[in-house]
Amino acid sequence: MNMTRRLLAGMGLAALAAAQLRAQDGRQQITMPFRDPSMPRKLVVEGGTGSLTIRGYQGQDAIIEYTGREIPGANGRGRSGRNEPPAGMHRIGGSRGLDITEESNTVRVNSQNIFGGTARDMVIQVPAQTSVNVKTMFGGSMTIENISGDIEAENFNGQVTINNASGSVVAHSMNGKILVSLDRVAADKSMSFSTFNGDVDVTLPADTKARFKMRTDFGEIYTDFDVKMEANAAPVVEESKDKSGKSRRRVRVDGTQTGTINGGGPEMQFTTFNGRILIHKK
Amino acid sequence: MTCDQARTQMLGGGEGKDFAEHLESCESCRNEVSRIGTLWQSLDLLPMEEPSGQVRERFYEMLGAYRQGLASAEPRRAFQWWQMAAAAALVVVGLGIGYGVREDKSRPELVQLREEVASMRQLVALSLMQQQSASDRLRGVSWSYQVEPSDEEVMNALVTTVNHDPSVNVRLAAVDALRPFTGSPATHVMARNAVIQALPKQTTPIVQVALIDFLAELKERNAAPELRRLVSDPDIDSGVRKRAEWALERMQ
Amino acid sequence: MAEVSGGQVARLAVLFERHHRPLFRYFLSMNGNRELAEDLVQEVFFRMLRYRTSYDPAQSFTAWMYQIARNAGVDQARKRGTAQVVDIDTFVDRRAELVSASPDPEESVSRGQDLALLRRAMDQLPEDKREILVLSRFQGMKHEDIAEVLGCEVGTVKVRVYRAIRALEQIYFALEKEKAS
Repeated sequence: MNMTRRLLAGMGLAALAAAQLRAQDGRQQITMPFRDPSMPRKLVVEGGTGSLTIRGYQGQDAIIEYTGREIPGANGRGRSGRNEPPAGMHRIGGSRGLDITEESNTVRVNSQNIFGGTARDMVIQVPAQTSVNVKTMFGGSMTIENISGDIEAENFNGQVTINNASGSVVAHSMNGKILVSLDRVAADKSMSFSTFNGDVDVTLPADTKARFKMRTDFGEIYTDFDVKMEANAAPVVEESKDKSGKSRRRVRVDGTQTGTINGGGPEMQFTTFNGRILIHKK
Repeated sequence: MTCDQARTQMLGGGEGKDFAEHLESCESCRNEVSRIGTLWQSLDLLPMEEPSGQVRERFYEMLGAYRQGLASAEPRRAFQWWQMAAAAALVVVGLGIGYGVREDKSRPELVQLREEVASMRQLVALSLMQQQSASDRLRGVSWSYQVEPSDEEVMNALVTTVNHDPSVNVRLAAVDALRPFTGSPATHVMARNAVIQALPKQTTPIVQVALIDFLAELKERNAAPELRRLVSDPDIDSGVRKRAEWALERMQ
Repeated sequence: MAEVSGGQVARLAVLFERHHRPLFRYFLSMNGNRELAEDLVQEVFFRMLRYRTSYDPAQSFTAWMYQIARNAGVDQARKRGTAQVVDIDTFVDRRAELVSASPDPEESVSRGQDLALLRRAMDQLPEDKREILVLSRFQGMKHEDIAEVLGCEVGTVKVRVYRAIRALEQIYFALEKEKAS
């Protein structure tokens, strides 16, 4: 029951159970089943450079499709597509550092490619009710669509886009916009949307009941919901000098703004350091 | 009073002059009282067994299922026990008056009820903060606002969350949730120290800024060395460094 | 089936938090089996939920609950046939470990043994004596409530409690002697 089935992608070992490798235009595809379709499913994606798309679909398995492309190494020079090895050396393994495993109904896709080399653009399809947990370190954009399970997404340098979600969303990017659209909000799920540099742009169904906690250090908050605000923090006027020595003023709202919609409900936190907060009514 | 009568009085509250008088004159009964009394007392020393956590889970699942109108008490997978506990605690708060007891704070039953609700909230907060799903842990952090600011256990759980939770969003929420604890005489010193110590442990800019803002609000001068270190560290994000500088100015 | 209102849910939840541990200990004292005790706790709360309309608010709640508890225990015993035989020694030794440490190691060892002995004596008490001791000493039930649960007079309760502790004392000293020899 506790067996881990490991697939080392690109090693060309056809004897791997339940895996189908298809090379097509430089695209590889691997199918990984969840062992128990009646139990909750989970997808965990870690690491990676390149864009990542996760899509819910009507099937049972996790289908991982990826395209390798060379990206410049640390010295800035691109390596040729033919991968010239250094004299007298040969390369081990095909797609290095991509591990796909399944254990206890959790499919784990792990790419640790930090130092240049192959960037992978990945498209992963999973059953819509799967819970998704994605953490990329140096990835590009991240898109998650049509998932009704719990979504947890962290991106380092890149936008996080979540569409047609109907479970819970907890999303963060260090540098990038958080763009989320929820079709349905479960009655008791807490959520959080945060970024250090970028806008937080969230769309919710008009009848959502929630308590908003909103905070932006440099930016404005906009919404078309009728938010019943709790005690408002007073704005703070900051004086600073810019590069030319000229005095600049910035109006900053100190602290978190709290308010409720439709009578209130579970908490939703919207946080950005440098950016706007936009909360749309669907 | 005869010896027989006296003996039966021993454990059922041996009051009354008759009983006391009898003891004075009857040595055998006196011995008996002391022996029985000792035995009675030592029963208290027997360790109390505790049931497993499953009992609570099953109970709330059953309650949930019952509410759904199922004839059998078959647990439904969708229900988490803490959801029922949380719902129950909320309803109890609302029902504080409707319990048939008038709003008289001296009534022991209402006080006991309040204590039970308080411990239930603590329980819910602590359990939620350990759940696998980030959304649940966020809920746990929200629940922590419902406990007394003197609640050390919950405060410690929040500090652990700030320092170790795998989700940035949960860590961020936990920083804010520590605010009430800095206002309580029982925990404010610990809370402040925890925030100071948390700062060097964080590497995520948004959490670093949240901690810096918190320290600035508290005018916590003990954090100054760490803030200065951040300002001069080139590896730290420039937004964070500026914030640390601003915080140092604010604390003058 | 009558709908369970939010208020009733809350009420039962509070009662659960307040009573499920002592109830568990009651069952554990009676049958010595943890799993069974937990099952019985569930059964009691289920019955209380189901038969909530039969509860008369004038009646003591604890009395009503323990009446249900005793019935549930009896029903269980009937279902399981003969009572389960528990290995008393392993049961007791484990408990001796749970005794809180005292600064004097020797004292704690001897105290541990005393308590182990005490526990054994409890377990060797006839069931009805053990029960009344548990209800009065551990559950801290008032005599009036115990009377209601057991279906006897209040005065009888006092006498029975006394007899129970006398019996416990005799068994305890007998065990002590046995040990010494």
